[in-house]
Amino acid sequence: MAAPAIIVALGQAWLLAGLAAGVAFLLFGLDRRDAAARGAYGFRPLLLPGLVLLWPLVLWRWLEPPSPSRQPSLRRSHKRAHALLWLGLACILPAILATALALRRHDIPVPASVRIDTGPSERDE
Amino acid sequence: MSVSYRPVGWTRSKIVYDAVLIAGIGLYLAAFMRSAPRGRPAGTLLDDQSLAIKAYGSCAFLLLTLVLMIGPLARLDARFLPLLYNRRHFGVITCTVAAAHAMAVFDWYFAYSPLSPWVALFATDTTWGDLRGFPFIPFGLAAFLILLVLAATSHDFWLNFLTPPVWKSLHMSVYAAYGLAVLHVAFGAFQDARNAGLPVLVFGGSTVLVTLHLAAAWREHRLDRRGPVDATGWIAAGRIGDVPAGRGLVVPLADGSSVAIFREGDALSAISNLCAHQNGPLGEGRLRDGCVICPWHGYEYRLRDGCAPAPFTERVATYKLKLEADMILLDPKPNPLGTTVEPIAIGERGR
Repeated sequence: MAAPAIIVALGQAWLLAGLAAGVAFLLFGLDRRDAAARGAYGFRPLLLPGLVLLWPLVLWRWLEPPSPSRQPSLRRSHKRAHALLWLGLACILPAILATALALRRHDIPVPASVRIDTGPSERDE
Repeated sequence: MSVSYRPVGWTRSKIVYDAVLIAGIGLYLAAFMRSAPRGRPAGTLLDDQSLAIKAYGSCAFLLLTLVLMIGPLARLDARFLPLLYNRRHFGVITCTVAAAHAMAVFDWYFAYSPLSPWVALFATDTTWGDLRGFPFIPFGLAAFLILLVLAATSHDFWLNFLTPPVWKSLHMSVYAAYGLAVLHVAFGAFQDARNAGLPVLVFGGSTVLVTLHLAAAWREHRLDRRGPVDATGWIAAGRIGDVPAGRGLVVPLADGSSVAIFREGDALSAISNLCAHQNGPLGEGRLRDGCVICPWHGYEYRLRDGCAPAPFTERVATYKLKLEADMILLDPKPNPLGTTVEPIAIGERGR
């Protein structure tokens, strides 16, 4: 099978597995996993796309033993990651755009205009 | 959230926010469809489908650039905070416009292929060895997939289910989506030198965006380095006069955490600087009726015990304070969640 067909088949398999896992979680896992979901039904369809796309993460969290009380974080650890990411982007983005600018096509041919004549029968009318 | 989930927690401000955003998008698309054909050389008129693809694509890129500006703008200037409160709606709408672009491309360029349209999507555009004509569709597809995952996990359920650190890490992938979108544009529409507006949009937008994010990161860095960092015993957090009116005095600690000290009337209280919802900076929040309101999403915590008022159940740690003359001393050990700490009276010292 050619590579594009394999990619598409893998994507379809991922989505089918996600649909099965997502529906199972909505039916059997959600109420037990999250007290705020009990008795609330209107928001459930909104969860399905995320459940389908992230099903391995969903299964991992579903099967993980629930921790009785989660302590709120005292540190904002993503601040450092944010600074590093934008330092990286500050270097990469100008390089990408400069490369793209150098490659721009100025010689794209403009096709000559073609006059569309009406047929004799139409002209006679 | 700690109360029953709803599909969308509509408020008047959210309705106005969304209405303004959708109206702005409508105006942009109408203006683009009307003005873009006029700027093209004679003989290069676009068909309606190609025009729609360009309109949706440029709109999605513009929205992505704007939504990424909201965070640093709000960090640098509190007047932008109202834009931050409903940023998730902005993100979902951005993803919707990007989806319109993707569907328009799919329907026009791949729907009539003898292959399956999805196979055709991956089978064309494979000149990886040549920078001129480098494939740009995979970059756009990857950026769209990231936006789709972020939009699909924007409900508060996901924050609770994945835990705030995992959710935040997942949603930081929006920066990767922006980089991929730049690659998609740079090796796609950018390559047509007849398109004069796009370089301005991409260069200008990315320059402003990088500058804002680096400025916000620098501000955070300076705040973190400020003040005492002795983690043993009581530490000198600052003088009474250092506590800003209506805001918190943020005190960084040696372990990387930080505490927000508030003055309400003639009394001082200290709680964790991080909101239990998305780790928003409580020290930059407003005070109302003995509660601090998180500037990011409006979560409230009582200063006395760090608990959200009923029916909410979020809690943050409280800290002990004492005064020596007008110097505020802070015990850097967080109290167990829910511990009530009586505010300390300032008396004559604060006047």
